[in-house]
Amino acid sequence: MTDLAGKVYVYGVIAASGDTAPQVEGIEAAPVRLVGRPELGALVSDLGTDALSAPKAVRAHWRVLEEASQDATIVPVRFGMVMESEDAVVARLLEANQETLSALLHDVAGKVQLTVKGKYDEDRMLREIVQSTPAVAELNERLRTVSVEAAYYDRIRLGELVAAEVDHRRVADTVAAVARLEPLAEAVREQEVREPNAAYDLAFLVRREAIEDFTKAVGELDRDVGDRIELSYIGPAPVYSFAEANLSEGSPAWA
Amino acid sequence: MAVATTPRGYIERPRPSGLADVIEVILDKGLVIDAFVRVSLIGIEILTIDARIVIASVDTYLRFAEAVNRLDIVQDTDSQGLPELMETITEGGAKSKVKGLAEGAKEAVTGDDDDDDDKSQSRSRSRSSSRSRSRSGSSKSS
Repeated sequence: MTDLAGKVYVYGVIAASGDTAPQVEGIEAAPVRLVGRPELGALVSDLGTDALSAPKAVRAHWRVLEEASQDATIVPVRFGMVMESEDAVVARLLEANQETLSALLHDVAGKVQLTVKGKYDEDRMLREIVQSTPAVAELNERLRTVSVEAAYYDRIRLGELVAAEVDHRRVADTVAAVARLEPLAEAVREQEVREPNAAYDLAFLVRREAIEDFTKAVGELDRDVGDRIELSYIGPAPVYSFAEANLSEGSPAWA
Repeated sequence: MAVATTPRGYIERPRPSGLADVIEVILDKGLVIDAFVRVSLIGIEILTIDARIVIASVDTYLRFAEAVNRLDIVQDTDSQGLPELMETITEGGAKSKVKGLAEGAKEAVTGDDDDDDDKSQSRSRSRSSSRSRSRSGSSKSS
């Protein structure tokens, strides 16, 4: 691992309302400070050791961003970004990418991320799939009479058929959820789902003043999906999913 | 929370995010500082890889196959959607048993430990993650 001691950990880019850093401990309980200028700064802290605990570091990263975004506009940096020095942060991150970062800060100013995740009631969904898909029902019946070992590839085939049906539902349900919620948001990001029974994972960029209306729409969506899909509605959070740029020195290109 | 006239309470407000809710976006989203400019990434490759459960996988197929096979379906009727029928399938089986790898990864960083028979290190897929992380793959943390 590269030497980290003496280097600077970067949490996010910020347009601070004042010029004070949030009173929150960073990684290794180091104080978080604001470098750069108030209208375009970065939240950083110093690293004192090479042997960081990743779980603790992730937690600290999260806490700093949560705290800082309470009363400032902040564009989160992905976890794990370390730079050589404070000077490097100012010159090679902030100044070199000033245009990109200012535009991003402008885009997310006064907005928060609200996340809506849907999870299928799996038994119910599978039941529907078996009953509405003859190919699945047939294969399923046949496999009941065959030993598990004997039918390995048929079982994979059955699972594939089911997975394809789940995918169809995912697409349709995502479209419905986005149609319901997008009009109340500034932007939406459809995020990759990672659980087999997940329906969708949608991040919305919402103006603070619009949170209430957005919430009402989520309530309506909840009513629409009934017991078929269990919703989680999470936030407000820093705009993680809308901080999209790959920053390199001197090339303010968007990712 | 529950409204008396509805079968269940519908969502009325967002829930403040815990670390477990946002761990994936923390690891996966946000500004990326180019490798030429940053010094290094902290070696957490293992966590991000574990979080990437691949849902189009043989594991998932077999799991679905097992789950539909376990359903107690009356094949020759159209009695779908009977609530009583639904109730007969308990929640225990498929759901908790096949908790995803993402959960495992979440627990690794968030410290929840309600179920650890599915610790995921051994099953992690080494799909090399995008652009920026390629450097620190060898330095497993912990």
